[in-house]
Amino acid sequence: MQREEKFVRIIKQHEGVIFKITTMYTDNRDDQKDLYQDVVYQLWKSFDSFRAESKISTWMYRIALNTALTRLKKSKRMGNTISIDRVVMQQTDNYNPEFEEKLKVLYTHIKQLNVIEKGLMLLLLEGKKYDEIAEITGLSPSNVGTKISRIKQKLTKQIIKN
Amino acid sequence: MEIEEMQALWSDMSNQLEQQKKLTNEIIMNMTQERYSKKFQTVSIIESIGAVICFIGAGYILLNFEKLNSWLEISSGIITLSFYIVLPIIILRALRAVKKLNILEKNNKETLHEYLLKKKKLLMLQKYSIYACFVLMFAQLPVATKILLNKDFLEIPKSIESYIGLSLVLIIAIFYARWGYNYYVRLTNSAEKILKDLE
Repeated sequence: MQREEKFVRIIKQHEGVIFKITTMYTDNRDDQKDLYQDVVYQLWKSFDSFRAESKISTWMYRIALNTALTRLKKSKRMGNTISIDRVVMQQTDNYNPEFEEKLKVLYTHIKQLNVIEKGLMLLLLEGKKYDEIAEITGLSPSNVGTKISRIKQKLTKQIIKN
Repeated sequence: MEIEEMQALWSDMSNQLEQQKKLTNEIIMNMTQERYSKKFQTVSIIESIGAVICFIGAGYILLNFEKLNSWLEISSGIITLSFYIVLPIIILRALRAVKKLNILEKNNKETLHEYLLKKKKLLMLQKYSIYACFVLMFAQLPVATKILLNKDFLEIPKSIESYIGLSLVLIIAIFYARWGYNYYVRLTNSAEKILKDLE
């Protein structure tokens, strides 16, 4: 299979992941689209260096999160900037307002976290184990555990407050 | 909302996204190519505007070419016209070649190699065009004085003020040329960095 075909197949398989990460780290649709494009470009750039030593998804999360963080640093818009009108339904015609409302609440909680915590929370919600989160983020598994437990405490406090 | 509830909601969202896939092969590859081409968008616009101004200037000289009589005016007119028409075309073509480099067709090393060749050509052209602009500055003096003032350049009395004015224009032109060239170097270096990251 050709390089381009392989790449396209992988992107198609994981386009939801890119969408979730880019939505998490941007505050409007234009920025989200721009970051999405940037992530795809960065994935293409590093595609040759991907040697299947790690899982495709691990490689993808790592690149996508790094791209989002680099972009945030560049634009100096660290922190709480998410204001989402439509989350999932940006990609579909079947708009479900009730589901969207719940998602908005979820994102409202996540947006209170700092950039690193956001990434860790995303990976946790994606169902990743601590070892894999450590591999993606470059943190040690014990450090991941500590940070995630702090995030959970933080979120619980936020939820009680609201 | 509990953490478990968040996870369940996230999982529902993921499932929905799975069913809503909408990217096509074309969109994915276009995104990649576009990202690279965007780097040269601003400079293309600036160069295109510059080219239009040059073509308007060339058109104006052509319309008034019969006013040029002496050998100095005619030869200066021809040199000025050639610069106004040929230079922007060459620069725009070189810029287009760099911009249109297909980063998807070849592997990273080949792409970088091709880019470096095109970059070298573009910067070399840019450098020569700067030198050419200085020649052009002097070449267009007899043309401008004849067409705009209807006077022979050699017969105009040269005052101290005119020499000062000319020197000032020259100094400004030198700084502008340096800035312009450095801008190109910065731009091409940043695009090169993108490609070098591929390695």
